[in-house]
Amino acid sequence: MLLARFQFTHPIHLVVGLMLWSLWFVGVYSGLSVACAVAPPPPEAGAFTGLNAALGGVSLITAVGFAVLAWGGGQAAKQHQGRQRFHATVSAWLYLFSAFGVVFAGMPIISVPPCL
Amino acid sequence: MKSVNQEAIEHDPQQLHNDLHAIWCNPKGLRSLTIVNHTTLGLRFMVTGMVFFLIGGILAMLVRTQLAMPDQNFMSPEIYNQVTTMHGTVMMFLFAIPMLEGLAIYLIPKMIGARDLVCPRLTSLGYFCYLFGGIILTSSLIIEMAPSSGWFMYTPLSSKEFAPDLGSDFWLLGITFVEISAVSAGVELVVSILRTRTQGMALHKMPLFAWYILAMALMIVVGFPPLILGSILLELERAVGMPFFQIAGGGDPLLWQHLFWLFGHPEVYIIFLPAAGIVSTLIPVFAGRPIVGYGWVVFAIIVTGFISFGLWVHHMFTVGIPQLAQAFFSAASMLVAVPTAIQVFVWLATLWLGKPKMKLPMLWVMGFLIIFVCGGLTGVMLALVPFNWQVHDTHFVVAHMHYVLVGGMFFPLIAGLYYWLPLFSGRMPSENLGRWGFWLTFLGFNGTFLIMHWTGLLGMPRRVYTYEAGSGWEIYNLFSSVSSFVLSAGIAMVLLDIALHFRYGKPAKHNPWNADTLEWANTMPPSAYNFVSLPNVGSRHPLWDDPNLPHTMKEGKHGLAVATHGRREMYGTDPITGKIREIIHLPGNSWWPLFAAAALAVVCLSLLTEVYALAGVFVIIAGVFLLRWSWENGAHPSAAPNADVATGDPPLHSRTMDGPGLWAMAVFLIANGSFFLSYLFGWFYLWTVSPEWRMPDIPPLSLLVMVLAGLALLAGSTVIEKLLRGLREQRDGRLAAGLYLAGGLGTIQAVLTGWALFSAELSPTQTTHDAVMLVGLFYALFHGGLAVILTVLQALRVGYGYVGAHAPFEPAVVALLWRYNVITFWLLIGALAVLPRVIGG
Amino acid sequence: MRECNRTTPIIGSHLAPQWASQSACLLGTVLLVSLAGCAGDKSILDPAGPAARDVRLIWWVMLVFATLVLIGVTVLWLYAFKPRNVVRTPAQERRIARRWIIGGGIMLPVASIITLLMFGVSAGQRMLPLPLGEPPEVIEVIGHQWWWEVRYPGAQGGEVITANQLVMPAGEPVDFHVSSADVIHAFWVPRLGGKIDMLPGRVNKIRLEADEPAVFGAQCAELCGVGHAHMQLHVEAVPRREFDAWLTARQEVVLRELAVADATHDGARDAFKTHCASCHQIAGVSQGGIGPTLSDVGGRAMLGAGVIAMEEGAVSRWLQHHQTLKPSNKMPDHGDVETDTLDALGAWLEALSP
Repeated sequence: MLLARFQFTHPIHLVVGLMLWSLWFVGVYSGLSVACAVAPPPPEAGAFTGLNAALGGVSLITAVGFAVLAWGGGQAAKQHQGRQRFHATVSAWLYLFSAFGVVFAGMPIISVPPCL
Repeated sequence: MKSVNQEAIEHDPQQLHNDLHAIWCNPKGLRSLTIVNHTTLGLRFMVTGMVFFLIGGILAMLVRTQLAMPDQNFMSPEIYNQVTTMHGTVMMFLFAIPMLEGLAIYLIPKMIGARDLVCPRLTSLGYFCYLFGGIILTSSLIIEMAPSSGWFMYTPLSSKEFAPDLGSDFWLLGITFVEISAVSAGVELVVSILRTRTQGMALHKMPLFAWYILAMALMIVVGFPPLILGSILLELERAVGMPFFQIAGGGDPLLWQHLFWLFGHPEVYIIFLPAAGIVSTLIPVFAGRPIVGYGWVVFAIIVTGFISFGLWVHHMFTVGIPQLAQAFFSAASMLVAVPTAIQVFVWLATLWLGKPKMKLPMLWVMGFLIIFVCGGLTGVMLALVPFNWQVHDTHFVVAHMHYVLVGGMFFPLIAGLYYWLPLFSGRMPSENLGRWGFWLTFLGFNGTFLIMHWTGLLGMPRRVYTYEAGSGWEIYNLFSSVSSFVLSAGIAMVLLDIALHFRYGKPAKHNPWNADTLEWANTMPPSAYNFVSLPNVGSRHPLWDDPNLPHTMKEGKHGLAVATHGRREMYGTDPITGKIREIIHLPGNSWWPLFAAAALAVVCLSLLTEVYALAGVFVIIAGVFLLRWSWENGAHPSAAPNADVATGDPPLHSRTMDGPGLWAMAVFLIANGSFFLSYLFGWFYLWTVSPEWRMPDIPPLSLLVMVLAGLALLAGSTVIEKLLRGLREQRDGRLAAGLYLAGGLGTIQAVLTGWALFSAELSPTQTTHDAVMLVGLFYALFHGGLAVILTVLQALRVGYGYVGAHAPFEPAVVALLWRYNVITFWLLIGALAVLPRVIGG
Repeated sequence: MRECNRTTPIIGSHLAPQWASQSACLLGTVLLVSLAGCAGDKSILDPAGPAARDVRLIWWVMLVFATLVLIGVTVLWLYAFKPRNVVRTPAQERRIARRWIIGGGIMLPVASIITLLMFGVSAGQRMLPLPLGEPPEVIEVIGHQWWWEVRYPGAQGGEVITANQLVMPAGEPVDFHVSSADVIHAFWVPRLGGKIDMLPGRVNKIRLEADEPAVFGAQCAELCGVGHAHMQLHVEAVPRREFDAWLTARQEVVLRELAVADATHDGARDAFKTHCASCHQIAGVSQGGIGPTLSDVGGRAMLGAGVIAMEEGAVSRWLQHHQTLKPSNKMPDHGDVETDTLDALGAWLEALSP
């Protein structure tokens, strides 16, 4: 299985989740800023713009990815004891938090016009 | 080979102590300036921090005196602005961070069962940089030329045009100097925690305090470089007129705000995390049981560490950023509530399930809880964008910030000081005076700042030196001012208590609080070498599991109980499992850190007085001192010329390919990478957002020359990698020749880069584009030059026999720098030479 | 306690019942041993427009919630110190711990921040300067060290420029386009709504609305140098018709006539040309652009960006003592000018009231 290759018992997973979260965050913020500087959609369009759709799509995919990783970490935790279980459990929670972080910080994309 | 270990076992504990003491002890008199020991330097950091705290506190009293009544003339607005700016600057940069770093420097090796930090000379350099930088900065107050643009130095107010005197220069140069200290302490704390925990202390068995400090140190490493870059750019603008932050040339004052808050927000958590670490250490001890949810706390630490980098724009909600972007940062700011709440409830559950005792340190923890939760709640309020638009830059924010910083840092700090006081001095504090001090501080603090929320809601902006009678703010300000004097009385009482206890405190019994962590296995006050022998630790609570452990450690019944070789030694262990990997030998006392810091201080002063030639000379002198320092490493006669170890013991780190120096270089390169990414951020930010940015029609930088330079660099790095492969297989044939070859390739790269720079004919004082490009090329030149010098020095060391197949460590360290240079240089080519050609203006 | 809620009929629609905010204000006041209540011409808690009212509601709700959380957590902590003699199995301990951590550490903050974010985003959206059917009045405000330049580009008959006073139509949304001529300032009328930074080289926009005619205080909110505390702005919302008349009275042609009217002021006009003209503009008299325009200074409510009230003799007093009234302001000291001249200047300038 593909997920098993990730070796969730390695402590690197303690930081990978939130690093990816940071990348998502910076990507969404800078993508928005650049799009608004280069080609802002008309204010009349409200939140129903291609830009919102693109940001929302990226966020959704990221969140699903995190959820899968969290599940994988949880599975790995069940198969180990001691140190390895500790690393996998904490990593799984961190992935879950990252998923929540994406959904939560991405919520305004649904309703706020992008460049006002 | 004689087995040194067996020889040692024949000695009795007293003999062992004497031998170890002879190796580790501190010299007296003038030579005490050479001390590199973490216990001594940790104390120096803390005492110096307390002195700056008193200075910052006096400034705060001046502010409250001025604001006590409307229309007062106690201070002129010029002086008031200097006083408020310096209050914030001193408290943040000269008290909070160095104080907590000092505590970490003092405690971390003791907690993880090590004898010192991994780079003792770096600790010393850090201390002197802090001391000299702090003195330079505060001396500006005496000559009434202190910075006056607020502690975040927003430009253009801090620019040459609107702040022509030296105030801003004092700030920019002094703070950068102090930040060298913060970053160097950050680097070595990371490496120490990862690589020198005692045998068996796996990652998940570390004391929580070490987790917190690890996060703090990594955050310093990543978080400080953006401000260092910003300070350098602003100082360049002020000194030679490169318009980085001026609209007219194509710059943007908002870039400063981004760079400042990229540092400034993590800074708050850099201060909070170690303080929370103190709380997480104290609560289990006074509850008499292990913390519940160790994993949850680790989770919370990691989340806080990362999320805090995603909040910086919440200090800039009113600068006119699109509302959707503000909403991202608003949401991210609220996310921090989750890890904070987890910690609060972990602490609560620990108390709930234990048998807590309300001793003096716990009183301060309770004070922390109430004040910090209050500050956290107003923090969540401020994350709400529409509310923020109203209360931003009012006294509401001043109140919030003091709740978070005093509640989140000062209260836990005092709790920690009272808790570790017996360790510092071997004596107990006075419970009576201490309680008086607490209650005065607690009531005074709330009287000062709770009411200040209200003042802000009534519309009082921050940083006004006065207000009119009839504004409706009079009574609240008076109340705040009176309470602030109660607060200072409380703090004075605490300091008095601490000072008196050194003389009058009753002697503490061993491990007086019945704590679980290894620092209490030390003697009180601690010995210079910390532990006679280094134990194998199997749990998170070594002293609870084996109360006899301090005695067996003292009797030399554990690892490395040997001193006959005359080296300062401790174990290097695996970062994850805590298995022993090598013996780390540490350098002894040294003048070089003091000399290097003094040379840097001269650089700082000559930049202030605009004697640039002198600054240039002393930069070189400082560089020579630092290189001379690096010479005394590895197989050098003053380091470890003899590599004998006991049979069964691992080799010395300088005889392997992996050691603390390599890790320190890696962590330093993370800091450097953060600096470089901030630079790239600045370039792209100005390019896309700055209102009057202009791309030249013809790209000035020759792509061909840059690519040739990049290829030369790549070739040099490849040569070094090949040499490393050889060393790994114990081959060192033509090592020196290979190093010289790499140095030559590096020189070619530097010359080509210089040529590209020269032929670009930049006019950096005219356009921001050229100024930014110049900074990038200088960065590449500096790093290329540094790699060449270090490589040539390695080649020389091969000749002296300090480096070779028998001691292959150092080329591996230099190789890391080469790899870093290759990556950053090619990124630079892409950003400065390729993309402008592809995208155009 | 003064009456807390000064606002009367409300034009915006989204707000809590009056009694809720009044009793909340009462609670807050009692809590803080407040003597003077929530009123004040810069009080956030005494809103006079829809944006500020939204924020006040958010504040009271958040305050009540935060107070409950703080009290709850503190009580639980204190209770935890109570000596108990219960013996629990490790399994029981784990269950209790998990309940605290999941319930208090995760569910409580997650639920709170989700509610709060939805609250905040929707409130923020209502304040967005979305396109309106009829474009709102635009007023440009430009910050200077340490005074305000105010422009009305949409005035009928040509742009109107004034300084240190902001007159706006009441009962309709107004778009403020703010900028700066030197350092960063911030534009903030607390009783109307949030603040926005005034940046050099950029124009920031904020939409505010005053429910009905009234006078508001405003103050620069971003540290802008030594004069920061004295950079205040007198804001007046007036009915639309009055507003239009006010603009008409400040048309260039009208001001030019006003400036040269009344020959008794000829001496003052000459003195002005000698001492003041290089920095100050008066329509038809001088072109100076460093200090605020003085074409209609006599009609302003305050002098020196909110330092003293305009009354008879105020201008002369200001000219003599401005460096004490507003330390380090950029107008040179007038010690070298005869007091009689300053009095004459003051009398003329006070007469410049369209």
